[in-house]
Amino acid sequence: MEKSDLPVEAPSVLKQSSYQNIKGFDCVDLENGNDHNRLGNATSDKESKGESVAISESTKLDGQDIAISIPPMMPLSSLSLSLPSSPSGLHIGQTKLVVYPEKCRNTNQNNPTNQNPQISRQKQFRSQPILVVEGTKRKLVRSETMRDSRFDPFKTWSGKLERQISNLRGMPTEEEALEAGETKRHETEEAPGVDRYFDALEGPELDTLRATEVSVLPEDEKWPFLLRFPVNAFGMCLGVSSQAILWKTLNTSPVMSFLHISPIPNLILWWASLVLMVFVSFLYLLKIVFYLEAVKREYHHPVRANFFFAPWIACLFLSLGVPPSIAANLQPIIWYILMAPLFIFELKIYGQWMSGGHRRLSKVANPSNHLSIIGNFIGALLGANMGLKEGPIFFFAVGLAHYMVLFVTLYQRLPTNATLPKELHPVFFLFVAPPSVACMAWAKIQGEFDHGAKILYFIALFLYMSLAVRVNFFRGFRFSLSWWAYTFPMTGASIATIKYTTAVTNIMTRSLSLCLSAISTFTVSTLLVYTIIHAFVLQDLFPNDISIAITKKKPKFSKMLAQFRSSSSDSKDFDYSISKGLEF
Amino acid sequence: MTPNHGPFTKTNHQIPISSLNQPTTSTTGISTSTRTRANNTVSGTDLSILTQFHAGYFRISLGLCSQALLWKTLAEPTTDAHALSGIVRTIPSFAFILLWLIALLTLLLLCSLFLVRCFLRFRSVRAELAHHVGMNYLFAPWISFLLLLQSTPFLRPTSQLYRILWCAFSMPIIILDVKIYGHWFTQGKRFLSMVANPTSQITVIGNLVGARAAAQMGWRESAVCMFSLGMIHYLVLFVTLYQRFLGSDSLPAMLRPVFFLFIAAPSMACLAWNSISSSFDTSCKMLFFLSLFLFVSLVTRPALFKRSMRRFSIAWWAYSFPLTVLALAATEYAQDVKGMMPNILMLVLSVLSVIVTIALMVFTAFRTHDILPHDDPFACYSIVRHISTYVAND
Repeated sequence: MEKSDLPVEAPSVLKQSSYQNIKGFDCVDLENGNDHNRLGNATSDKESKGESVAISESTKLDGQDIAISIPPMMPLSSLSLSLPSSPSGLHIGQTKLVVYPEKCRNTNQNNPTNQNPQISRQKQFRSQPILVVEGTKRKLVRSETMRDSRFDPFKTWSGKLERQISNLRGMPTEEEALEAGETKRHETEEAPGVDRYFDALEGPELDTLRATEVSVLPEDEKWPFLLRFPVNAFGMCLGVSSQAILWKTLNTSPVMSFLHISPIPNLILWWASLVLMVFVSFLYLLKIVFYLEAVKREYHHPVRANFFFAPWIACLFLSLGVPPSIAANLQPIIWYILMAPLFIFELKIYGQWMSGGHRRLSKVANPSNHLSIIGNFIGALLGANMGLKEGPIFFFAVGLAHYMVLFVTLYQRLPTNATLPKELHPVFFLFVAPPSVACMAWAKIQGEFDHGAKILYFIALFLYMSLAVRVNFFRGFRFSLSWWAYTFPMTGASIATIKYTTAVTNIMTRSLSLCLSAISTFTVSTLLVYTIIHAFVLQDLFPNDISIAITKKKPKFSKMLAQFRSSSSDSKDFDYSISKGLEF
Repeated sequence: MTPNHGPFTKTNHQIPISSLNQPTTSTTGISTSTRTRANNTVSGTDLSILTQFHAGYFRISLGLCSQALLWKTLAEPTTDAHALSGIVRTIPSFAFILLWLIALLTLLLLCSLFLVRCFLRFRSVRAELAHHVGMNYLFAPWISFLLLLQSTPFLRPTSQLYRILWCAFSMPIIILDVKIYGHWFTQGKRFLSMVANPTSQITVIGNLVGARAAAQMGWRESAVCMFSLGMIHYLVLFVTLYQRFLGSDSLPAMLRPVFFLFIAAPSMACLAWNSISSSFDTSCKMLFFLSLFLFVSLVTRPALFKRSMRRFSIAWWAYSFPLTVLALAATEYAQDVKGMMPNILMLVLSVLSVIVTIALMVFTAFRTHDILPHDDPFACYSIVRHISTYVAND
């Protein structure tokens, strides 16, 4: 952020002044609570090489915290910003610098590390400038001498794991200075409460930050890849593996034999989905290992939590879509292994619905909850395919009971329910999934496509039709990876239609199954093209995952934020406006 | 004088809790007036203590009567449990009769106490009928009578006396049904979404018990009628309770054991449908599995019950009936689906229910003082209700 470019004059607090004249500049002085700092002198930094170090981090102080997202400055400029504690209550979380110069290190060591218990309770203002500010020019090569600790709160054990690993690799670390920052990390160990997600985010998937909110992490910079890798990525596995099942059904079903579909598409799709599943699971496992806090935040997100069912559902799909050439019959033990984690997850989620509190259904109900229901029906279908008797009925019963509850709740659109979008969104296609899969499961359990299965099938068909005729209202949404998860209901409906055609064979049902299969295949291919374009051409398949970077408390000056955001489109202006707002 | 509370404010919900506190222990300010009244009454005759029984005490009779039914079902020759039937058949039959008689005597005692209370403190009883938790427990004596009827070793289900008794016990259930279910969807002040709490499932259970008894008598139409009545309201109630529109505000922490009623309703439905359709078909299995799932779900959430387990109270008896009904359903399941897993399930659940009931009886015997009512939770309430209705009518 170049001071010279800005049209807005910096407030007095942050007015540029010669930092060298200020005593105790950028060195911690706990006694002096009114430690002012100035914006680093940008001009002097231009000479040094290296990468920019922009700092924005927020820590919770005395129960209040502000997250300031400050975009990275032009290379080599530095920013050290810390603000006075004002008795008016406007406490701004301090920003932390990455580099700890030697000069200040001693002072640091004297103050914070010796007073660890105090630190967490007191307001603390501390920031250390970049080395260049001190006048010494040191090569700032990030990977060698310093770590980007902006993302530490999202890392496992707040970055300790990474430090361990870098220790093992023999990289130099700045342990002693960084330890001082550890004491403040305890605030970031707990994820925000569910109310915060509803307050801070909007949109049908709760993925857009409201105008009044700031993100904990810098919004303009690309975050580490693992941090950007959401659990929605498993939706891709769902989409592809359900296609594999569709082509297997088209191949093996006698009523569709007029199409003469070969087993090749099923084989290819199955192998593709297997590879994809392994790949995505591996990446997400890495994320769990390295960014456990981010995973926790995702788990507490009201919409994303349902996507944690997606891996198991994808595994179930894989088992259902196994090409006959690979394995004709699967062992029942696989079913038990796959259903066990699903069962545990369900106990947790449904129990939260029942026992009330913050995560009760009337509050958090949203169409993505269907993902938690559908696992039951798919498990029942797979178990019935394998020949098990009681297990499928168990999961069918549980799924049916909770599906009823969810269905009624979503239809009611209770006023306490904030997450249902007013406009249509592809997430609504999840409505079609449970009845279509339940119909297939019931037919398999009963052994024939009896009245119960037909009732469920017609419900699914009706919901599909009512969404299909409104396809015009699905316009204008930003493409996101989770759209893959919404293709599998279409595929499920096609498969259910084929099964219905097997029971009731006439020209109408045949054409219906043909039509629905064509639609679902077309949708999936279009989505594939979109995904490839976004991945390789536009390179924004994995945007910054804002929804996990919300602050734990509402920013103090949220209204001003909204004003500034709407009035100034330039983000640079915004940041200066922030600093202006801090004067209040 | 207690401050003016509406019927559904939190403070009013705490009034039943205060009945469980000793008069000398410090309580919240809200219950000070009840305490002073309690002090006055404690200094009075013992009779006044006995008239302070509220319908929640019928949990004891529910637990004992369902135990009697469980023992009777276990002793049936169709039960296939290898170990269990061996044990059960070695116990002489007079032990069953003894258990049944104990249950009967307890029930009669509680009924007579409640009758006395009706005569002496009619206002309190009316207040109880209006309270969203208390009103459901008015089903409890009739449910207990029906359970005793089903488990009686003295009467055959086809005998005339059995039928007369069934009519006598089911009639109040139907009358209460009409009143309470009617309130749910017609009355302005008592919408279901406001009133619903886990104890509302007792109304459903009442219908289902009546249906089962009727099916065993051979009156199929009445059985199906009561079953459908119970199930349709169970549907509505299940959804409402899961939605938790008001959050956990509607039930005080001490009454958390009544969450186990979530288990009891589907198990009872399973038993009723089993009797109606004379075979344990898929719907019965589905209901049984749902009940089993809810049981596992509750048992894995001990934090929910922590606060209520701090001291012994009458609410603890709420654990006994649902566990016993679940064990009954497991027994029927094992009778129909022979195999190792169902038998193990039946064994585990039956043993659990017996242990819980015996433990509760021991606790009651040794800590009777804790369980006796020390003040009438609905006494001040009835006055408050008067005032609130006057205020509301302004």
